[in-house]
Parts: sequence; structure tokens; C-alpha cells
Amino acid sequence: MNIINIHLPVAGIEFSAVLLVLIGFCVGVLGGFFGVGGGWMITPALNIFGFHMAFAIGTPLANIFGQSIGAVRKHHRMGNIDWKLGLVSIVTSVFGVEIGSRVIIAMEKAGDVGVIVRWCYIFLLSVLGVYMMYDYFVIHPRLVKLAEDEAANGARSGTARVMTISDKLHRINIPPMISFPASGVEGVSLWVILIVFLVTGFLSGFMGVGGGFIILPVLVYLIGLPTTIAVGTSLVTVLFTAAYGCFTYALKGRVEVLAAFIMLIGASVGAQIGATAVKYIKGYGIRLLFAIMVILAGFSVLTEQFYKTSGKPLFQTLAGITLMGTALAMSVMIIGRLVIEERKNRVKAE
Amino acid sequence: MTFKRIATIVILSITLVGAIPFISQAERDPLASEKPETALSMKVDTKKLSGINLFIARMYNEDRVLYATTVTLVMAVLGTTLAFITDLVLKALGLEVSKISHRE
Repeated sequence: MNIINIHLPVAGIEFSAVLLVLIGFCVGVLGGFFGVGGGWMITPALNIFGFHMAFAIGTPLANIFGQSIGAVRKHHRMGNIDWKLGLVSIVTSVFGVEIGSRVIIAMEKAGDVGVIVRWCYIFLLSVLGVYMMYDYFVIHPRLVKLAEDEAANGARSGTARVMTISDKLHRINIPPMISFPASGVEGVSLWVILIVFLVTGFLSGFMGVGGGFIILPVLVYLIGLPTTIAVGTSLVTVLFTAAYGCFTYALKGRVEVLAAFIMLIGASVGAQIGATAVKYIKGYGIRLLFAIMVILAGFSVLTEQFYKTSGKPLFQTLAGITLMGTALAMSVMIIGRLVIEERKNRVKAE
Repeated sequence: MTFKRIATIVILSITLVGAIPFISQAERDPLASEKPETALSMKVDTKKLSGINLFIARMYNEDRVLYATTVTLVMAVLGTTLAFITDLVLKALGLEVSKISHRE
């Protein structure tokens, strides 16, 4: 049973249009909701379903660029974007990306770096996921309990503190100091900001990823942004990097425009829904879903690594299925939550 | 939303997606092969193409700068247009957005 197969002229293959729209839709929902591009999901999905790897890398960038425009616009209307911080992150990350990509090129001359990159990827995703889980299940309840105790003892609200990583970084007083009023960040050393985004860019360049999944936790845990503003600001970075990626990959002939076009139909709708859902889900809810997604993405890369070492296609299939399944599950949960919350609001209004 | 419920949805979705290749792609079964279906060619064979496919393939073969510019512009215009239309539909469904409070 082939579902509306179409011929893709540049990639030279037949492909299901419905599958393209579905992939685009899931990635759109996740992109709008988490502020990520989603290339880490589309690339293996397209490759597993028959795309050549070169097109599977370039085509998603065109799609991500298109879907991010609407999502950025929507987050801007919700006041979720710190443009000043977004600009600083883009400019600084560029240098980091350049250093990261040069390191990779230098290492490539010495031998196969794929294994090193994949293990770095697995390590980073695992650490991020586990820390975010720890934050959700340990730090957050502790904060809530402190606040409740204070309220019960009649203390001033807001005095309860647990020293977070961002608090520690904000204490570094090396001038010049910079503030980001839109994010509620008052007085942080410019050097801290530059180093953080330089490292973020380096990791993006080194691992060859867009960086959305790194930027979101960095903005939340290191810079101390509210989650919703981190989502919107991360999307600004994704938009600019994807625009550049779209052009440069198309120039190299690595973008299948018809596939990107069809995926964008689903992605644009999904991105609007994902961005709207941010309005209804608390910051910590977003963090929990993101943590689960990151851990499963790490598992997927791990199975991909098993495929590379063992040569068994089953592992590659498992990696793709895990990624797609996770994306579908997250999309279902986000849309479900959006519908439930909207119904609750209507009942309240009546 | 409890952690248990999230875990259930994730497991169900992974199972469902696992079934997709066997349902929709059974005839050519790309999962059975380690190699991707197509080899990368920098020129598209236009002999069997017509209409929009021929137009795209010719542009791809003849002027890569024009191709890259067109792709980028088309994505920007289409992305903006589709977002605008989806926004209108969501508004009609009562899902309008405005400034939100940044609660954690």
C-alpha cells in the first residue's frame, strides 16, 4: 500500500506525500513548542524511508527555515522573544561554530571522527536529559516546598532560594556587565555570555547540528531565562541558522525542493499549533517533555552507533523508529494538552 | 500530565511508528537494504520529466545560484503564507494568542 506516491525530481525517487506532510507536521509542532529545528529527527527519518543522506541533511534545513518564520512571529506576539539576547547568541555562536567545524576538519585528516562525534552526542544528550529530569523531580519540588514553608510561616514571598547554576554564573562580577530586561536578567558579565555561546556554537559546529536542542537548556539553566522566553529566543537562532543552511545546501545541490515544499505544508500548521500550546503549558512541563525527548534522542544515537559497529540494519531501523515515535508521541501530547486546556478555559468562561 | 501517562504515550507512539514502514512501504521495503535507494547525482536526468518537475530539474541543472535563491525565497514566502492562514484558522477556533505571563 503506497500512500499518494509522488516523484521527487532532484532526489530522483518516489516518496509518499502523506508521510512527508506527517513528518513535517510532527517536526513543526516540536519546533514551535520547544524552539528547536528538528533536523535531528527529519534527517534519519528521511534517510530510513529512502532519501540519500546528502538530501536527508539539506532538505530539512529548507523546511525548518520556512516553519520557523511563522513560529517566531507567534512567539514574538506572546512576548517570548528576547531579541537582544538572540542577536548576541547568533553573533557569538558563529565564531564557536567556525572553531568547532575547523576542529572537526583537522580531526578528519587524522581518521574517522564519526565515532567520536556520536559518543559526544550521546554523552551530551544523556547529561542534558538526566539533569533536566533531576531538576524536574528534585530541585523543583524542593523550591515549591520552600515557598510553601515560607507562606505557612508568614515570611515574605520570593525569599526562598535554592542556588541554581545560573545564580552562580550571575554572581561572577567581571565587567562589563550586561542586562537583558526582556528576560528579567539583570546584570550578568558579558564574558559569561560570550563564553557560554562560544561553547554552544563550538558544540554545534563540532557535532554538525543546528543547535536548538543545546540552546534551549543553555538559556534556561545557564543564563536563567524563563522557559517560554528561552523557547522563543532559541527559535530566533534556529531561524537564522536554518536560512543560511537552506541557501548554502541548495547551492551545493543538496536540497530536494519539492519534498521541502510538501513537508512545509504540515510543518507550518504544526509550528503554529506548537507555538500556541506554549501559552497553556507551564515552564516546568515544557522542561519535562524536552528532557524525555532528549533522552530518547540519545538512545537513538546510541542504537545508530551499534549499527555502525555491528553493521546490522535492525539497529538503524530501531534508531529511526525511536526518533519518529518520540516525535509523534510529543506532538500528540502537546496537541492533546492544548485541546484540554482550551476546553477548560471555555467552560470557565461560560 | 503525569510521568506515567507520558511514558505510555511515548511507548505507544514508538510501536505505531515502528509499524509504518511495514504498512506503507511494504512493496519496496527500504528497511531491508542497508544502502539508500538513490545514488547522489549532481545532474538530474530530465528525459522522463514534465511540468513542474521538469522546470525544477532544469533550474537545478542549469543555474545552481538561481536554484538556491528560489528555494530560499519560496520557503520564506510559503512559510509566511501558511503560517498566516493557519493563524486565521486557529483564531476562528478560539486559539488566539497575546502576551502571556512567563510562569514556571
